[in-house]
This record gives sequence, structure tokens and C-alpha cells, in this order.
Amino acid sequence: MIFQLVRRFTQTLLVLFGVSIATFLTMHLAPGHPLQANPELRLDPTAVERWLQLRNLDQPLPAQYISWLSRMLRGDFGQSLLYNRPVTELILERLPSTLLLTVPAFVLGLLLAIIVGIYVARKQNSWAERLVQIFSLAGISVPSYWFGIVLIILFTYRFPLFSAVGMRTPGDGSFWDIIQHMVLPLTVMIFHNFAYYVRHVRSAVLNVLNLDFVRAAKARGLTDRQVMILHVLPNSAIPIITIATLSLPMLFTGAMMAEQVFAWPGVGRFIVTSTMARDYPVIMTVNLYTASLVAIANFFADVLYLLVDPRLRVKA
Amino acid sequence: MRRMLLAALSLVLLFLSGCHGHKEHATGQETELHVAAMAGPITLNPLFLRDSASAEVASLLHATLLVTDPDTLAPQPHLVSSWEVLEDNLTYIFTLHENAYWTDGLPITAEDAAFTMRVICHPDYTGWLFLPLQYVAGAQEYKQNHQSLFADGFIAGIKVLDEKTFSITLKEPYAPFLSFLTFPLLPAHLLSSVEVRRLEAHEYSFKLPVSSGPYLLAAWDTDEYVHVKANPNFFLGKPKIEHIYYRFVPNVETQVIELLAGKLDLIPTAVKVEDVSRLQADPQIKIYTNPRLVYDYIAINTKKDSPLQDRRVRQALATLVDRREIVNNVLLGFADPLYGPLLPLHFAYDRSLHTEAVDLAAARELLVAAGYKNLQLNLVFNAGNLVRENVALLLKEQAAKIGIDIQLSLLEWEAFLAAINEGDYELAILGRGVEADPDLTYHWHSESLGNALGYKNEEVDILLEQAIKATTQEERATLYRQAQKKIVADIPAIWLYSRQAIHAVSAAVENFRPHPESVFFNVHEWTLKAEEENM
Repeated sequence: MIFQLVRRFTQTLLVLFGVSIATFLTMHLAPGHPLQANPELRLDPTAVERWLQLRNLDQPLPAQYISWLSRMLRGDFGQSLLYNRPVTELILERLPSTLLLTVPAFVLGLLLAIIVGIYVARKQNSWAERLVQIFSLAGISVPSYWFGIVLIILFTYRFPLFSAVGMRTPGDGSFWDIIQHMVLPLTVMIFHNFAYYVRHVRSAVLNVLNLDFVRAAKARGLTDRQVMILHVLPNSAIPIITIATLSLPMLFTGAMMAEQVFAWPGVGRFIVTSTMARDYPVIMTVNLYTASLVAIANFFADVLYLLVDPRLRVKA
Repeated sequence: MRRMLLAALSLVLLFLSGCHGHKEHATGQETELHVAAMAGPITLNPLFLRDSASAEVASLLHATLLVTDPDTLAPQPHLVSSWEVLEDNLTYIFTLHENAYWTDGLPITAEDAAFTMRVICHPDYTGWLFLPLQYVAGAQEYKQNHQSLFADGFIAGIKVLDEKTFSITLKEPYAPFLSFLTFPLLPAHLLSSVEVRRLEAHEYSFKLPVSSGPYLLAAWDTDEYVHVKANPNFFLGKPKIEHIYYRFVPNVETQVIELLAGKLDLIPTAVKVEDVSRLQADPQIKIYTNPRLVYDYIAINTKKDSPLQDRRVRQALATLVDRREIVNNVLLGFADPLYGPLLPLHFAYDRSLHTEAVDLAAARELLVAAGYKNLQLNLVFNAGNLVRENVALLLKEQAAKIGIDIQLSLLEWEAFLAAINEGDYELAILGRGVEADPDLTYHWHSESLGNALGYKNEEVDILLEQAIKATTQEERATLYRQAQKKIVADIPAIWLYSRQAIHAVSAAVENFRPHPESVFFNVHEWTLKAEEENM
């Protein structure tokens, strides 16, 4: 068991190293640099040269990579070229507002999907099932961007109940003020998450429901509820756990669309602007951070499998 | 059960709607204004501005030495209350406004001005302001030879005469000089002990403890808003509007809805032309427009070996462009057609260059005369600018009529810039910002660093050199008109239009008078009607 964990861990480290080299190369292969001469502005070419020198961007690529790696290993992720501030500071100050949106959207979306998914799996071919199918298809195919704008028009203009811009009213920021600002982006995100999860929950439960041991359990005289709790749910948990844990990294990288439409001050928007601006240290850190999150989520999923499925424990 | 649920739900909704409502212009007696911005600023340090959001916020927080007149663009007093030019046309003596104070109460002095200019001339300074200051005597030497990491020592041409007076001596006459003194100062008492290379990332750039403008920084919340408060000691008097919230709403549709809902008061500069009529229909909103110092043009790459090196081919293309159609149908009239490198606001603008005729037959003849029956050219432009996309399509359609096949390549912004900088294009739609002074040297003199097109005409070079040494405005206007004629005749580019700034403003805002370069030009004079009703 411990040997396996150690092996997993080294594998993860190798993957992260590979990711960092790949990111570094693609980033520098992409045309442009953060302060390249913009013909629409007045720029002093000698000043630009000095700017690159002061940030060691005039060094050859391998040298730049090694100096980045050595600083990173010492916990220094460098300074944003755009904002001139430490990258970790920039990410950390945006993380709380992102989590404020992504965690409830994830928890509520998943919970709702589990409840509704189980319900419709049991009522095959009912109107409820058809309704949920239409709903989830809509949730996946309707762009969050468009749905967000519709909500804004409806609820800040026609029926001004909620706020659509930012996380709080400037100068306010009380609990209720923030809740009020959360309603619309959260609706968009929950709708999207729910639509995505509910299909998986439904099919996972359906698969198990059709198996022989369920019929056997019923034949033994167990009630529907007992069959559900004792037999169906534990056996349909694995695919649901996989789907849920794989979306964990998204909690930390934000919901870029919702953040963009509702001007939410989160990590997602920051990642988009930094990438557009070729902010190398930020892109490197964000990629490594996302890759680590994915690795951690996978690891976490493995542990959860062991917890829910005793058979896997025996094999291990 | 169901009824109880409904009742509970409506209670919650009632509660939420009660918490909210239309934004009040006044909280108690204090007036506030909410401004929409596509992005937040990157820095508040006025010497390192590279993006429009930072520049807009900086214009609220910092006062500049001089300003230019919004109508004539002539230099006007500001922090510098008066100046004198000595006989030799080389030495300028400036006097700072006697009431000019930093927000910490210390007077703004000539030493602050000298310090700021030393920072700009320091070898480690990475902004663009050195370009105009290189004409100051000793500035080049300071940039090349200064050893210390700090902006200390002296520049030969800059002298502090007393607390409020300083002089600048140029190494040769440079007529546009005053129009470039439109930068703010740094407080020497706070920053003279900071290494110049550390200035950009210094705390000052984010916290701005001391400034000189109509407003002072109250809060800057990451990715949410910048909140500024009226500066009670502003040298032109305390601004009438107490608080301004500069709010980052990265989505144009959301901005417009929020303005219509009364939650924003101002969308500056970049209201989309399609949205204007909808906004005008609302009596609570006023639309203001003003010309800006930017224009769009088609750059022609003549450095690369291509048929475009033949002037007749370039002329054929130029004869195809229907500027009226672009201005009226694509920009819905919110632009001025452009026929040369200067804008109607410039004193040396030349109306005689206007040509409306689109002549397909003549264009075809020119092409044939140049020895081409058919031709393929590529046109590069950037994604996300709908106007330029439409212009590209119009050009493609027109060119097809005379046998030129234009291949469109739409590039992401950074890739677009890289293509332009590496000369990897034949035709490109570009924008350009120009200065308040009509001096054409930066873009069109063959030896200028800013001459990105590689344009070279010795006669133009001589005219431009004469013009920056000329003393009277008439003399300069004549020289620039001659230079313009020659540049336009050489067709190094096809000038298209100069878009107007379109501002959507709450009808409650009065005295709103935007400047071609700054929407907050007279922000200290703005008032809100609601304020008077409250009083």
C-alpha cells in the first residue's frame, strides 16, 4: 500500500515536470512577448530592451527555464510581468471569491443531481424523466454566456431583484449584499453543473438497477428503500465519484464564463487576461497549479474508491 | 404545504428586492458616480502607463504639468501656471501653481519636476516618456553615463531656480516640446530613495499614498473597482462629486444593461455604435461624442518583395476604398473619413487632400499598367474588432472587382502584433495614436524609431526637420502641409477614418466635457443634478 502511494507520488512529480517543460516551450513558441512593440502605442524600443533585460527575458530559453525551476523549487513563483507583483499573491487574493462561487455551485449542483437522478432512474419513461432529460440537454447545450445575459436582462433590468455586476456593491459588502450578488452567477453555474451531473447519476443508478443481484434482493423481500440504500447506491457510487472528483480542480480555477459575464473578481478571469497578455510567470504557475490539482483530485478519487468499494481494498 | 412554500419564497424575494433598488446618487449628502470600465488598471504610477484603464484612472489621481486645449490642442497651463520662452527658443522657464500641494500637505516643488525628469532619463526607466525628453540638453548623456541606481545627480539642461520655478534648456529647437509636458510628477520626498529599476513594482504604484490630482485613492479592490475620493486640496478647487467608483465590468452587454437600469452613470469612450440609438431613446441617458487622437489605416508593406512596391498597385488599392461607405454604414457616422496622416483637430490639417472618388475603371487601368492582370494579396487584421472585420470584407469585395484577390487572415491580438512587428504581412489594418502636436517626425521621418512602415522620402525628412525648428505656427503649418502632400502622394498607407469617442452618460451628470485624450479632463467641474435637489 505504502509502496503504491510512493510510486503514485513519483509518477505525479514526473508528470508535473513534463507539464512545466511543455508549458514553458509552448508559451515561448507562441508569437509575441508581453511588451512587444504595439504599433498602436508609442513605445521606446530602447526602453523595451531594458525592460526585457531587467526581467532576464533576454536570456536563452534553457537558462530562463532553469532559473525559473530553481526559484520555483525554493517556493518563489516569480513576479507577474503585467502587474509587477508576486504571482502567488495575485492568485491567493482572487481565490476566496472564486471558491465562494464554485464550492456552492458544485455542492448544490451535485446534490440536486443525485436526488433528481435517483428519482428519475426509478421512474423510467415517466414525464419527470423526460422533463429532466430536456432540462439537462438544455443545460449542457445552452452557452453559460447567453444564459447569463438573459438572467441579467430579466433580473436587473426588467425585474430589478438582484445585482449582476461584481461581488458586492461598492462601499457595502455586507453578508446580504454578497448573497444578492451571488444569486445570478450561482444560478447559471448550478444549472450547468446539475445538467452535467444528473445524466451521469441517472445512468449509473439505472445500470445497477438492472443487475441481477438487485432483483434478487427484491425477491428476498427487501423494501424499495432498503434495496436503494443497501445495494443500489453503494454500487453506483464509483462513476459518480469519478465525475465529481474530476471536476474538483475547476473549483480552484474558477468559472471563466460566469466570472466574465457577471464581472466576478475571481481566478478564472485573471487566468484569461494573463494568458492573453503573455504573462509568462503567471501562465507557468497557473499551469503547474492546475496540473497539481488534477493529480491531487485523481489521487483523492483513488482513495475514495478504496473507501466505498471493499473489493478494491482486497485487490490492493 | 405548497402554499407555505410559496409564501416563504415570496418573502425571500421581497426581502432581497428590499435590500436593493436603484443606486442612489447620494449616500447621505455625499455624491457618487459609477463609471464602467472593461478592465481594471495595472498600475497607478503615472510614468509607467501602458494600457488605457491605467491611463484613465491615472487621470483622476494625478495632475499633469500642462494640458492641451480640448478644441485647439494648444498647450495650456495646469500644474505649471505660467511659462516663458527665452529669445534663443531653447530655454523655457516654468512656474508651478502656488496652490499646488501633494495630498500629504507638502507643496509640489520644482525639485519634484526635476526628480521626475531624472527618473525618465535614467538608464533603468522603461516607459516611453524619454522620447520627447531626449531633446533636453544633457538628457542623452544622463541616460548613457549615469552610474547610480537612483535618479540623483543632475541633467545639464534642467535647473531648479527656486521652490516653484525651474528651467529646461533644449539642445536644439524643438517646437512640439510643450505639448509633451503633459505628464504628471512623482513626489521626490517619497520616492527619491527608491532605485529606478524598482519603481514600477514599488508599493507606490499600487497604494499611491501621495498624489496630486482631483481625486485621491480610497480603495482598490482587486478586479472589482477603484474607489477615489475628492481631493479637498486640489489646486483648482475640491471636485464637486465626492466619490467615483471605477468599476470593472468586462462585458459590454452587461455595462449597457446596468446603465439602463441606473446602476452605472457613465460608459466612457467605447460605447458600441449599434447601442447608441437604444441608449438615446432613454431620457435618463445622454450621449456625448468627441474626436479622438487615433485613427485606423491600412498599412502597406513595401519592405517585402511584392507587387506593392509598385506605386501604381498601391494607388489602385487606394482608389478602391470607399471611406464614406465605411463611415456611414459600418461606423454609423461616428467617425471622420481620413485622407492623410493628420487629424482634423490638428492645426496643420489639410482639407485639400480629400478625395471621394472611387473609380474602379481607373484602378483596373493602374493595375494593368503595372503589368498585373490578377493579383493575390494577404490582409492581416485582429480578431475582436468588428469594425475592422467589416472594413476587411468591404475591401476584399471591392478588390475582387478589379482582379485583386485579397486573402483575409484574422489573428489573435498578440499573434497579430507579432506578424506586424516581423513584417509578415502584405496589407494590415492597424490603429495608431497620434500626439496633440501635428509633428510627423515620429512616424514618417526615415530615421525615426517609430517609423514602423520604413517610409523614406528625403524631401519629407528635410521638411520635417525644418518644421520642428520653425518658430511660428503658420510656418510650421505650411511645412507640414507640404510634407503631408508628399507622404499622401507616395501612398505608404491608406488612411481610413478616425473614430469618435462615444460616451453614454447619466442625464444627471452636468458639465461633462471630454477631451480628445481624456474623458476625465474636467472631472473636477462635473456635478450631479441629484446633489442640488438634496440640498
